[in-house]
Amino acid sequence: MTNTWLTDKERNYVKPKTWLARIHIDGLLLLGLIMLLITGLITIYSASGGDLNVTKHHAIRILIAFSLMLAFAQIPPAKLALITPWVFLVGILMLVAVIVFGDMGKGAQRWLDLGFIRFQPSEIMKLALPMMVAWLFAYSRYPAHPARFMLGLFIVGLTAGLIVIQPDLGTSILIAMSGLFVLFFAGLPWKIIVGALFSVAIAIPVVWNFLHAYQKQRVLTFLDPESDPLGAGYHIIQSKIAIGSGGLEGKGFMGSTQAHLEFLPESTTDFIFSVFAEEFGLIGVILLLTLYSLVLLRGLYIAYRAQEAFSRLVAASLTMTLFIYVSVNIGMVSGLLPVVGLPLPLISYGGSSMVTLMISFGILMSIHTHKKMLSN
Amino acid sequence: MIPLAFDETQTSLKQTRSFKFRILFVILVILIVFVGLIARMTYLQWFNHEKYLSQADGNRISVQTLPPQRGHIFDRNQVLLAGNVSNYKLNFRRENIIQFDATFEQLKTLFPEIETSLIDEFSETLRRTPRHRDLPLPYSLTEKQAATFAANRFRFPGITLQAQLKRTYPQNSSGVHFLGYVGRISQADLQRLEARRYRGSEVTGKIGIERAYEDRLHGYPGLQTVETNAQGRVVRILDTIPPKQGENITLTIDIRLQQFIEEKLGDRRGSVVAISPINGEVLALVSTPNYDPNLFVDGITHAEYNALLNNPNKPLINRALRGQYPPGSTTKPFVALGALEQGFTTTTERIFDPGYFEFQDHRYRNWRRQGHGWTDLKRSIVESVDTFYYKMSLDIGVDGLHSMLSPFGFGERTGIDIPGELGGILPSQEWKRRTHGEPWYRGETIIASIGQGYNLATPIQLAQATAILANRGRIIQPHLLKADRDSIQYVTDPEAEAETSDQIPIRSRNHWEYVIQGMIDSVHTPRGTAWNAGRHIKDYQIAGKTGTAQVFSLHDAEYNADELEQRLHSHSLFIAFAPASNPRIAVAIIVENAGGGGRVAAPIAIETIDYFLKELDQ
Repeated sequence: MTNTWLTDKERNYVKPKTWLARIHIDGLLLLGLIMLLITGLITIYSASGGDLNVTKHHAIRILIAFSLMLAFAQIPPAKLALITPWVFLVGILMLVAVIVFGDMGKGAQRWLDLGFIRFQPSEIMKLALPMMVAWLFAYSRYPAHPARFMLGLFIVGLTAGLIVIQPDLGTSILIAMSGLFVLFFAGLPWKIIVGALFSVAIAIPVVWNFLHAYQKQRVLTFLDPESDPLGAGYHIIQSKIAIGSGGLEGKGFMGSTQAHLEFLPESTTDFIFSVFAEEFGLIGVILLLTLYSLVLLRGLYIAYRAQEAFSRLVAASLTMTLFIYVSVNIGMVSGLLPVVGLPLPLISYGGSSMVTLMISFGILMSIHTHKKMLSN
Repeated sequence: MIPLAFDETQTSLKQTRSFKFRILFVILVILIVFVGLIARMTYLQWFNHEKYLSQADGNRISVQTLPPQRGHIFDRNQVLLAGNVSNYKLNFRRENIIQFDATFEQLKTLFPEIETSLIDEFSETLRRTPRHRDLPLPYSLTEKQAATFAANRFRFPGITLQAQLKRTYPQNSSGVHFLGYVGRISQADLQRLEARRYRGSEVTGKIGIERAYEDRLHGYPGLQTVETNAQGRVVRILDTIPPKQGENITLTIDIRLQQFIEEKLGDRRGSVVAISPINGEVLALVSTPNYDPNLFVDGITHAEYNALLNNPNKPLINRALRGQYPPGSTTKPFVALGALEQGFTTTTERIFDPGYFEFQDHRYRNWRRQGHGWTDLKRSIVESVDTFYYKMSLDIGVDGLHSMLSPFGFGERTGIDIPGELGGILPSQEWKRRTHGEPWYRGETIIASIGQGYNLATPIQLAQATAILANRGRIIQPHLLKADRDSIQYVTDPEAEAETSDQIPIRSRNHWEYVIQGMIDSVHTPRGTAWNAGRHIKDYQIAGKTGTAQVFSLHDAEYNADELEQRLHSHSLFIAFAPASNPRIAVAIIVENAGGGGRVAAPIAIETIDYFLKELDQ
């Protein structure tokens, strides 16, 4: 309970909290989020062709997500750590339940129908898994025993495995990464990280040689969709046309012909960045990435300044998850990465991912504002 | 197992340092990745901006051709001869057709009247057409078929009903031989037509006026720049250059006269050409039997076409321009005039006709076996005395005959303004050497002098020659297009026309009047060959000449005995103009295998003239 290496003077100095901090809100993070959410609202209005109904729905979701963010910001990290194992356990049980009783209606068993509400347990796991792994390392000595890393790896593998058989490969990989980030920040030795990356690099050509021709073809089409311009490549070609035709200054608000004339698929969800880039050009793109950088750097700063292991691991992992989302989505719509169904965080239309994201920002704010003492 | 209490464990300095290092490490990674993304965006939005901008425009902007409306064709009184009606096409779009083969099978079931080969050919074409492009089935649906399709629309996703304009001939078969028709553009048409002008058009003029004045009738297509969405549907029209509609054309034809003659000819095979001698305007150009040009607009079926082609009466042949007949005695006034002018005979010279003329042990018979007795030149026209010409011809010679007839256009095409005209034959020594490689025999001159032998003329030539005779040598050019002036009246000043026309040199005006008087007498005196046909005409004078052309060869067809007999009958001819002193109409008529010219051809021609002068030419 006591910081033994601080002087009394230091121990007694408490930086006066701002009124925002008193209600557990981080001003800078708030600013970045609000600007991103407004950008999203504007872009959705345009991408939907000026559909006020769609825009209104999105605004309502923002308000709900915003409220949840504020609510979670009030929960001290210590309390969150306390309930983490239970939430994770319930999450795992629900994933199993999805597999056993899942709603078959949609072809994929991602949804759980509780009668009054239908939701995706994998959405809970986006938060619960990194927190669970962080919890695992919160009480261990440093450096952690290799067995603990193995345990962490097992938990990550179990969760990802349950999601991948739903099947939802994209989400599964992203959730796995959020867990792996915790392992990384918890001090997973570099030797192992480099070794693992090296092994994967070695394994790819070996596995490749064992694939059948048609399997190779499938992988190639996945990696280079433009080789199939009327099939898998159509979307990515249209997306690149949208982005490229925006030019430096863009075609202006509501000026996206690619989206308005329906050449661009999923223009309000996965491909919303293309609409943004077409309308606001390279300048807009750089401003948007600057906004994301602001949020990401603030998130990492919070992690950097967090006082204990659980908080800093959770904060860093959640921030990195946001980074992965942003970079994979933009890489995908600009033709650098294969197309996987993945929204652009805080901008894309869509409910559940927005809620999860905003809750994670609530947790970040909680971590930053519940510090007992400021060592600076 | 799970600790429920949260202990704020003090993190070690080593741990904090490791963590903070890794945070800085990922910040570096984030910066690298973001710089990479911005580089990618710069590549797309800066360096390849032009390329993608043009692709985006290419995506959304498409240029559509607006086919022009084809000009109408009117007769001289602005009666519509060819116009446009809206009809329906089936428009196919491959990307929306769910079951390709099944769709076409169902279509065949729904419309058994559409030829299967047409549908099969079309389905192959559609397979090679871009998925999102509309392709119309080259078949016009009737109102009833359109209604049938509309009722079954739900069975045919990807097919839409599209209204469009289709050529129509409201007078049906009347006048088809000069009017012609439009038909689907063929490969051969594509060779000669300017592709840009025909984008979006499906038909072009095939024969007749429709072909001759294609350039005026067709017009120029317009362009419409439209913005389309990904489904190819037009969202917005950006720019429109309206099509230039085809010109309307007014013909010299009087469709009332045309139909009057067609009715008179009935189901006989024949041709009548009526010309205004004043200016060469063709007032009627009849060829029977005829056929319905509407059959050809959408592409005639093989069965229908074969029926027309194999019809022994050969309705597809335009007899007025392509029917080559021996002109027979209708050449007599021209020869008589030439003989007078060139001094081979006089108005007072008489010869004795015993019913035949002997030359080199061969008897050339007169049409009247007992002969006409003492005959002068005028009587030779009135009663069509062959012997008179037999006798003169040996002095005149074939080249002399040629020089007498050729100023009237015999042996040449008239150059009428529709395609397909055949020339006639006006023999000469040179001609025979050239075409037969043989010298001319004098006996051949004898039969040539009464328009038989090698002589061949088309009805349009005969009509032109008659009109020139009526004009006392002023040459006219038969044409169907009404001159580009507002006047559609018949009254055109002959004096004014004369200034611009060529004139056959006249040695003696009396010779012309003498010959014309012979023609008047052949209609208006009891001994005249056309007396029976013209005796009821009292209030003006008709100058006419009958002709009977022997049928020589029929080697190209097989007939049964009755029909053979009928087919060996002489053709019945008549030329005439009226009023004789101030001619306003010249007519040439030929009725195939109808016997003497006075019996069949003359009554029709005279009724035509009477109808025209009394009812139409007011």
